[in-house]
Amino acid sequence: MKEEIIIAGFGGQGVLSMGKILAYSGLMEGKEVTWMPAYGPEQRGGTANVTVIVSDDKISSPILSKYDAAIILNQPSLEKFESKVKPGGILIYDGYGIINPPTRKDIKVYRIDAMDAANEMNNAKAFNMIVLGGLLKLHPIVTLENVIKGLKKTLPERHHHLIPMNEEAIKKGMELIREV
Amino acid sequence: MAEEVVLMKGNEAIAHAAIRCGADGYFGYPITPQSEVLETLAELKPWETTGMVVLQAESEVAAINMVYGGAGSGKKVMTSSSSPGVSLKQEGISYLAGAELPCLIVNVMRGGPGLGTIQPSQADYFQTVKGGGHGDYKLIALAPASVQEMADFVALGFELAFKYRNPAIILADGVIGQMMEKVVLPAQKPRRTEAEVIEQCPWAATGKAKDRKPNIITSLELKPEAMEINNLRFQAKYREIEENEVRFEEINCEDAEYLIIAFGSMARIGQKAMELAREKGIKVGILRPITLWPFPTKAIAAYADKVKGILVTELNAGQMIEDVRLAVNGKVKVEHFGRLGGIVPDPDEIVTALEEKIIK
Repeated sequence: MKEEIIIAGFGGQGVLSMGKILAYSGLMEGKEVTWMPAYGPEQRGGTANVTVIVSDDKISSPILSKYDAAIILNQPSLEKFESKVKPGGILIYDGYGIINPPTRKDIKVYRIDAMDAANEMNNAKAFNMIVLGGLLKLHPIVTLENVIKGLKKTLPERHHHLIPMNEEAIKKGMELIREV
Repeated sequence: MAEEVVLMKGNEAIAHAAIRCGADGYFGYPITPQSEVLETLAELKPWETTGMVVLQAESEVAAINMVYGGAGSGKKVMTSSSSPGVSLKQEGISYLAGAELPCLIVNVMRGGPGLGTIQPSQADYFQTVKGGGHGDYKLIALAPASVQEMADFVALGFELAFKYRNPAIILADGVIGQMMEKVVLPAQKPRRTEAEVIEQCPWAATGKAKDRKPNIITSLELKPEAMEINNLRFQAKYREIEENEVRFEEINCEDAEYLIIAFGSMARIGQKAMELAREKGIKVGILRPITLWPFPTKAIAAYADKVKGILVTELNAGQMIEDVRLAVNGKVKVEHFGRLGGIVPDPDEIVTALEEKIIK
């Protein structure tokens, strides 16, 4: 098993931390993982993306030309990465951030209205976990149990009371995701 | 601390590995993309556990001179920086080599020249293996290609530095420093006691004993006859290192018709390019120098009669390619593919370069 994933959006949307939680969950399952951010003098509102690879075998390049799954959270990222999804791969986008939806017919496109759901939950910070839930519904790369273990590892102790909320957000995302 | 499996950045791995291998001191000044080394050390507070000193110096120049002082007293000391900061350290590095002091330097390279960018680059290859500072000296240069190697090469760098009384350098780049991977951290080794330092480093300035001449740490020797003797001793040591310490990795080279040669992050990207090329039926292998000095000259020379062409891929305009060309001595076509200034190519670009520049 090998999953090559790009997560891209605005800085501040939790792109990097979503990738980190996914990578940590992979580690909990005893898999090989690589998390490679496009780092730069970036800030809230700028673009941010991270490549996450979860694999049974040793991983070669942390930088890729094509992806099995793309999680796209704003329009500039869609323009940059739609063409880089492997034929037959999946593209997930948040309805709130995308004005012109993806057009490719050789990939599976899914929409998740995570921003709206996060607002309904009165918790903008749940956004990235809702999106992660959507991905895990389609590609169960890691189990929910190991995501929770990953959260325990990545979150400082003082934030551990937020873990049930994150679990709820992931389950919400699993319900919300739908094929376009 | 026992052995531990964790997910972390290459820079963080350097910090953890330094504490765990029993280092005595770290002196540095923050610069992207390696600031997490100092930040992680500050967070881990090793001065409260192992007694390791961690100090943010007032500048890179001060930091390398603190390394000189610590190394002169036989301590396991290190510094880290990124390209512009490592340029500032060059005078100190030349002095460390001239005084035959063991230490570890880490360069997490970024795009240059000048202040350049903060994104990954490998354009300090020449600076690292051909000099950088003045005089006929060499640094033992290790090029990690994974977060695991970032951790492993800290202990290895110190081991080689002390074995040969010579500075060692870890030459990484922004990709290796910033990416997170699974890493097995070694169990904590105790720092050496004062008695062990005195026993293992009889040359060091550890306090004057009654029954021996004073140990003087210096690179200065005003008599040219004596300075030539010093230089000949350095050269003999360098030949010994070239004989014993060459390290490299070969993947899929047995049946290869073409070879990719790359180090560090570019070897990882090159490996994916190799996988993609093999899917297309192109028989390509990859050779990754792990020590950039001593360079795997003999291993590369052995392929000159076996392969049809060699592509050297680097994040620079063509630096290591010169050493590859010297190794094969014109017997086989060697071409270069590189991106500059902080741009990192994807694996497809390397496959295209292989097809267009080597196979055609």
